[in-house]
Amino acid sequence: MTLPTDQHTEGKKNVTFRVFRFNPQVDSKPYFDDYTIPVERGITVLRSLNYIKEHIDGSVSFRAFCQAGICGSCSMRVNGLSQLACTTQVWDVLAKSREPGIIKVEPLRNLPLIKDLIVDMDPLVGKMVHYSNWIDSTMPEAQMGKKEFLISEEEFLRYDKATDCILCASCVSECSILRANKEYVSPAVLLKSYRMSVDSRDSMHEQRMAELVKDHGVWDCTHCYRCQESCVKSIPIMDAIHGLREDAIESRGKNDTSGSKHAEAFMTDIEKKGKLIEATLPIRTNGVVWTLQNLLPMAMKMIMKRRTPLPPPLVKSVKGIKIFRTMFREMTEHVKQDQKSHKK
Amino acid sequence: MKPFDIVIVGGGGAGLYAAMEAMKTNPALNIAVLSKVYPNRSHTSAAQGGANAALGNKAKDDTVEMHIFDTIKGSDYLADQDAVDVLCSEAPKIIRELENMGTPWSRLEDNTIAQRPFGGAGRPRCCYCSDKTGHTILQTLYEQCLRKGVIFFNEYFALNLSVSGSCSNGLIAMNMKTGKVEAFPAKTVILATGGYAKMYWNRSSNAAGNTGDGQAIAYRAGIPMKDMEFVQFHPTGLRKSGLLVTEGARGEGGYLLNKDGERFMARYAPEKMELGPRDLVSRSLETEILQGRGFDSPAGKYLHLDLTHLGADLIKSRLPQIREMSMNFEGVDPIEEPIPVRPTAHYSMGGIDTDNQTRTIMDGVYAAGECGCVSVHGANRLGGNSLLDILVFGRIAGRTAAEEAGKFRPGTISEAELNEQLQEVRGGMQASGRYERYGELREELGQTLALNVGIFRESSLLQKGIEDIAELKERFKKVRIFDTSDVFNTNLMQVLELKNMLDLAETVAAGAFAREESRGSHTRIDFPVRDDAKWHKHTLTTLVNGKVTLGEKPVTMGRYELQERTY
Repeated sequence: MTLPTDQHTEGKKNVTFRVFRFNPQVDSKPYFDDYTIPVERGITVLRSLNYIKEHIDGSVSFRAFCQAGICGSCSMRVNGLSQLACTTQVWDVLAKSREPGIIKVEPLRNLPLIKDLIVDMDPLVGKMVHYSNWIDSTMPEAQMGKKEFLISEEEFLRYDKATDCILCASCVSECSILRANKEYVSPAVLLKSYRMSVDSRDSMHEQRMAELVKDHGVWDCTHCYRCQESCVKSIPIMDAIHGLREDAIESRGKNDTSGSKHAEAFMTDIEKKGKLIEATLPIRTNGVVWTLQNLLPMAMKMIMKRRTPLPPPLVKSVKGIKIFRTMFREMTEHVKQDQKSHKK
Repeated sequence: MKPFDIVIVGGGGAGLYAAMEAMKTNPALNIAVLSKVYPNRSHTSAAQGGANAALGNKAKDDTVEMHIFDTIKGSDYLADQDAVDVLCSEAPKIIRELENMGTPWSRLEDNTIAQRPFGGAGRPRCCYCSDKTGHTILQTLYEQCLRKGVIFFNEYFALNLSVSGSCSNGLIAMNMKTGKVEAFPAKTVILATGGYAKMYWNRSSNAAGNTGDGQAIAYRAGIPMKDMEFVQFHPTGLRKSGLLVTEGARGEGGYLLNKDGERFMARYAPEKMELGPRDLVSRSLETEILQGRGFDSPAGKYLHLDLTHLGADLIKSRLPQIREMSMNFEGVDPIEEPIPVRPTAHYSMGGIDTDNQTRTIMDGVYAAGECGCVSVHGANRLGGNSLLDILVFGRIAGRTAAEEAGKFRPGTISEAELNEQLQEVRGGMQASGRYERYGELREELGQTLALNVGIFRESSLLQKGIEDIAELKERFKKVRIFDTSDVFNTNLMQVLELKNMLDLAETVAAGAFAREESRGSHTRIDFPVRDDAKWHKHTLTTLVNGKVTLGEKPVTMGRYELQERTY
């Protein structure tokens, strides 16, 4: 028996685990199996799955290792949301379940499926390698071990939170860009890249950044924040992505890539008008030729089908633009100061 | 497959350090790391507290010599003193080396690596990164191995060494993704698969996979195990799950309280109090519980680890993982109320018998980290010395294997041998009449070990434990594997892990039964004192003709004479 009889006074609930099944050897397509078991308060999703595996169906396949939320093996989608099965309480999930008494368990998205709840992590490792997710120390190997780098608490705090990442790939699974483009760098890899890029011991900042600003890189993120919302370690992943972008503009200039130009166009519009001038945004981001070839036909179609209005000939500034501009400048000044102090 | 110069089994701290060092020693070598999990999942990640090194950053008067003495005393004089010399002398260098490679250590005000007090240590010398030290070390090593292009075979389950006479031909392992049994012919094999304390199952803090695979492989190949009876119980496991609350929580000033609200450690270690060595503190908790001063609950009796007086800020900044865990697994916020704890099997001091260069008695086979036993921990390991052990001896293993690989030839591993292995591992898939469930056997193994081969041991209890294990081994022959597929068969893997635990459990119980004294973590009610005249020696357990056979090995002494161990 795996389920303890602790706190039995609080009773048990019959819970149906609707488990995603797929064995590539015999199944042509995935299906779901239902397993109904009594579950007490305090039991995690992983302990329930262990119980099902040990007592009902030994073929249900999933990864699990530390069972304490530190190794990152047992990430899966529980009622649609990617999380660690070992730290997810069954009763908490039930309370929010759309279908009463049912918990749906599925594999992570955006990684190739191997079997049941197991996905292939190799693509993620491949990206960590591609984006040099390591410190290439400024200290030559032969010198190592002799003396410490002196590192301020302030610098440590810059990457402290990012080093909490356990590579569970929940963010990978939730990422809306990856669903459309499997080659996208991935939130976890951006987070690790950021962690390396703010470490004063690292010597390959430029090289890594050169890779990050290319296609499928740091500029492809659309700020949907799903990575951050789903992070099992509550790491502010979007801060890291913003940090990398600021770093990219600072170290490579505003006109480096369409990504940096896009960001710059945003800034200009907001400062001038207090809002975006969307009609000309693609031109400023990707140039006239690209826009004419790639975007104009679709825009025309959308206008014809009344999916979007004709762009206004003139964009008016928002009300109170003068006060807004003062605020905007103060804010950008503040950010600059902040960046300077980081550099120290 | 092309023969390898070095095959490393295990991708935790010891295995990864070995890989890096081997590449550094001889970049021309063909090296592979096999791991049953992705290396970054390894149990090294769970080490929270830190790694000891006499850097002298916090206490300027700390010295390597003091570290050596603390370790020898902590081991209850069973550690080999020359090995402890190596461990402690290499410590400052290896911690700095990790720092130089990018490990994010917490920092002191003068920007040097932070250090904190830890159990059994005379000075604050435990280097840490908040309470995720092992995790950050493992990340650093994995990152560096990726940088260097180490070849990984992830999610391969090691089955056995292929042996000809006294030589190893290499390793036989199962590819989890395909279910294929594959040959890894190699000149040298480094076993670095971690500990075996998970055999205590629910009364263990270990990851589900800490099933002593490397030790079991070596044991079946006829390599002796050393000091297997010494299993460390960590004083503060969470009551329900056995998961660990780091010693760092006491290092930061946490109190242990019984149901009368008394700081009972005053009775057992009046000077060191909560920061006494682990074996002593664990026995103190167990005694409090046995004498009726514990709290009662359906999940068993327990005591309190009280952090409430430390304040929310300190708990949030220094012990965030502890807070998260006790909320997730006990529903208790340590800022508000004390954490329910009881001792949990945590670390295996014993392991594959090696010399100071990590060599085993078999040519070309090495063992390092918790998998091996040099021995630096003797009868009881000090907190903060296990991360250090895997780093120092992982590195030595990598270097030694790289230097010695040229001496050996890779043997050949025949198709017939692979086939035989495949038939054997899949044997349990045939439907038969009566069958056993591995889950039940595993649970029963944990129960009998915790009860009969636990913190307090005694002749009749141990006898019972030995009989239970023999019976479980018999029942294991009828164990049924329900998943018959080739692809990622976790059912099969768990059965193979259980087999390893059963094989090793026998050596733990046999060693404990034989050792008629109390030393370090091994406490015999019927032999309550340390008996240096008869038992100041290592226990060896070897598999001979299918039976555990006991042997012994002298302890290497040095500058420190035997003394009574008090705190």
